[in-house]
Amino acid sequence: MNEEFSPNIVTFACNWCAYAAADLAGVSRFQYPPNLRIIRVMCSGQVNPNFILKSLEQGADGVLVAG
Amino acid sequence: MQLTEQQINYCMECGVCTGSCPVSYEWEAFSPRQMIRRSLDKETPLSQTREVWACLTCARCSERCPVGIDFPEFIRSYRREARDRDNPPRESHHGILQTLTRLQTAGLQQNRTAWAEEAGSFRDQGDFFYFVGCQPYFEILFRYLDLDALDPARGALKLLNSLGIEPVISNAECCCGHDALWTGDEDLFRQLAEKNLEAISASGAHTVLFSCPEGYLTFREQYPRYFGELPFQVRHLTEFLDQELPSSGLSFRSAEDEALTYHDPCRLGRQGGIFEPPRRLIDLPAKGKLREMDRSRTNAMCCGTTAWIECSSCSKGVQLERLNEAIETGAKRLITACPKCRLHLTCAQENTGLQLPVEDIYSYLARHLES
Repeated sequence: MNEEFSPNIVTFACNWCAYAAADLAGVSRFQYPPNLRIIRVMCSGQVNPNFILKSLEQGADGVLVAG
Repeated sequence: MQLTEQQINYCMECGVCTGSCPVSYEWEAFSPRQMIRRSLDKETPLSQTREVWACLTCARCSERCPVGIDFPEFIRSYRREARDRDNPPRESHHGILQTLTRLQTAGLQQNRTAWAEEAGSFRDQGDFFYFVGCQPYFEILFRYLDLDALDPARGALKLLNSLGIEPVISNAECCCGHDALWTGDEDLFRQLAEKNLEAISASGAHTVLFSCPEGYLTFREQYPRYFGELPFQVRHLTEFLDQELPSSGLSFRSAEDEALTYHDPCRLGRQGGIFEPPRRLIDLPAKGKLREMDRSRTNAMCCGTTAWIECSSCSKGVQLERLNEAIETGAKRLITACPKCRLHLTCAQENTGLQLPVEDIYSYLARHLES
């Protein structure tokens, strides 16, 4: 059990800023770890607290809301 | 308890149930009497209707039923089937309370005691276990209502400490499973109950005290049905304080309000049979200023929603009617002994112009305790 802990992180990214930034990172060929799973939302304000809890319930180790 | 055809024939179709039902006052088509009859209907089974979720399980009907049909149990038995038939309840607050309940079985480390470190003294092992229930979660979820949902728990701890009792409060405690059970999710109920029984047995407590009527009734009535006789005593805090406070030498300042009234929670009153202890406790500071609503004790009205499902304008109608009934007594403050009743009756006052403070019995007692 010497494997390094690699958390699964669910990311809710706002279409107009954070998602665009992630997209730009991709276009610019910056690499980011694959354990970050991005879900695009039209506004980070639409992220209900229950989305965060549900992510954790279904096995996410962390949740990032970016907007 | 699905009724057999023979049992259904006992139903005299007198309609006392429908006449007593707070839901049918608001939603005319909702009829417990017809639901009993319709449970025989093979074409549209009860479990495929919305009515199966609309019942508040407040037991006002079964209290009066001349042939003793336990309507809440009858409904509960169909709710499990309803889930299996893809007819789930409409979860209020986006289902966040149901997610929180399920998360508690996932083995996450909870922080349930931070409030108690500031509020008083408690321990990890001892004779008395204080089952706090969902209040630490409510405190965060219902901040927008501008009420401190942990205040009752602080009050309860202060009262217990004043009696020289340092209760066990545990981070390993879980939701009691009341809502899971009443929404037809017996598996979740079992998982939660097993965790609670483990946490209590690890504390070595011989008595478990509940401030919440739902937790109390679930432990008293349902846990033994699923797990046999419990190795500890289950007591509601109003009952316990009513026995301990008079001889304790503690005294209370007089209440400032000119009149108060008390709302009987369904699970504590009609279903738990505890009517007088909370009234005697309120009277310690109220000194005769407690006024009864027209409908109280076994006749009391429900606070309008249960198990965090199906909140609707029907619920609001029930709640506003209850609040107006309280105001009609001339009371300036409504006391209740259930954290959920307090939340519902406070929420219903938003944007209505009604201003009746709803206070929990433990906060109220602790506030008037003379130190």
